[in-house]
Amino acid sequence: MSYFRATDPFPLESAEHTKLHEFYARLAAGRLATTRCAACKRLAWPPRAFCGECASDRFDWVDLSGEGTIHAFTIQEVGLPSGFAGPRVFAIVKIDGLRVFSILVDAEPAKVAIGQAVRLSPLRVADDPSGNARWLPAFRPA
Amino acid sequence: MRKVALVGAGVSKFGVRKASYRDLIWEAGKACFDAVPAVKPKDVEGLVVGSVMPERTAFQSHISSMAAEALGIRPSALSARTEHMCASGTVGIRYAYAFIAAGLADLVMVLGVEKLNQPSGDEAILNMGTGVDREWEASFGLTAPPCFALAAQRHIAEYGTTEEQLAMVGVKNHTHASKNPNAHFQRGATLEQVLGSRMISSPLRLFMCSPITDGAAAVLVASEERARALTDTPVWIRGTGQALDGFQLTSLHENYAHWPALSRAAQAAYGMAGVRPQDVDVAEVHDCFAIAELIAYEELGFCEKGEAGAFVAAGRSDYGGDVVVNSRGGLMGCGHPLGATGVAQAAEVFAQLRGEAGARQVDDAAIGLTHNNSGMGEHVVMIYGRESR
Repeated sequence: MSYFRATDPFPLESAEHTKLHEFYARLAAGRLATTRCAACKRLAWPPRAFCGECASDRFDWVDLSGEGTIHAFTIQEVGLPSGFAGPRVFAIVKIDGLRVFSILVDAEPAKVAIGQAVRLSPLRVADDPSGNARWLPAFRPA
Repeated sequence: MRKVALVGAGVSKFGVRKASYRDLIWEAGKACFDAVPAVKPKDVEGLVVGSVMPERTAFQSHISSMAAEALGIRPSALSARTEHMCASGTVGIRYAYAFIAAGLADLVMVLGVEKLNQPSGDEAILNMGTGVDREWEASFGLTAPPCFALAAQRHIAEYGTTEEQLAMVGVKNHTHASKNPNAHFQRGATLEQVLGSRMISSPLRLFMCSPITDGAAAVLVASEERARALTDTPVWIRGTGQALDGFQLTSLHENYAHWPALSRAAQAAYGMAGVRPQDVDVAEVHDCFAIAELIAYEELGFCEKGEAGAFVAAGRSDYGGDVVVNSRGGLMGCGHPLGATGVAQAAEVFAQLRGEAGARQVDDAAIGLTHNNSGMGEHVVMIYGRESR
């Protein structure tokens, strides 16, 4: 038997794998969504199927604007995990009062700045083991 | 609650080791048993093993039983593994403390072990991503360095902390490590070397970061009665605290230079121990990155918020200063074999408070502190004393 490596860094996004499938379905359509607790109306990021405030498991999907500003960022040059290349811009993006962790794509690292306007740029990553497309909520300069 | 003390400690050589996961367990166990000749493996009633990712590195789970068998321990009171990312070792010590304080055990070994540099180098870094949120963070390639870089940037922006001050933490800890034969790095480092090392994640350079290291450490924890029977110089667990701000980056304090959970964990430990920050003689703090040590000075109360850069620059966290921080060389100098780190910190405080730290000895050290964190949002603090309260 040859050396077998099982390292899938991406989430399983399909409906049979996660209660949050709707997030990924909307993301594939270019929309950024999250959950609002149906009981206490708390807006969450990231989306969640259980409310840590009121313990309800009922929630509604709401679309966010998809446009925000950079709250904080760092540029990693080296030491990234296998399959990820530097320089990579990691950022906290403020959208509709929420803080969203993501990466900035198609950005000149030296020109990234706090307060910079960015917009959603869904990033297609490796298909899941069943061949379904997968997407991550990345951002690009607006 | 009963009084609880450390009665023995042992540490393996840390580094990129030509040794298996089990070899490391044997080395730390041997060193710990050698330190307490009156205790044989059959005398130990419990074992807690702090270990984060043997499933991915050694392809092994069922860790506590595996380690117990390797060391000849037959647990009758407690057998458990603690997985709490970088703080796993100290969390294990808390378990042993609680069991003994409650009267459920009299003599427990806490062993921390990690074999990170296998099966391959690129997998080692990928594996570190298991410590952040898989779905919302690690899927973007996030590991620890960018998280702490965000804190460093915030501290620089808010308090004027400089890259030189960050580098001074690296110089201090690498210099301390040069006196520790078990450290990963023993060559020391100059300010020029630290500032000239390659950029990892802005503003953190290589010598401001802890490396990926293999290693193990063990301590023996005992009830008062058993401790006094085994040694004239037990080191007492005086206080402990643990607190959580959050797991995901976006759940933490909006300003990453503020770590309220560390302050809360410290206040709990100080209160329980009946000591103040200025009473601490020697502190092992979690310098996974230089900024972490600076923020720890502030949240632990060694200096005011925002003054940590000046504190290290003035030598106040070095020999001859207010408190000697990371006398063994810290995570930067010793390396950071996740589960082993917290136990190795305890082993250093044990040696310091018994006056057995050799070239690293802090004069007349009576109160020691360890701080272990799991990311920026969760912190564990222990306070040890030469005298019981």
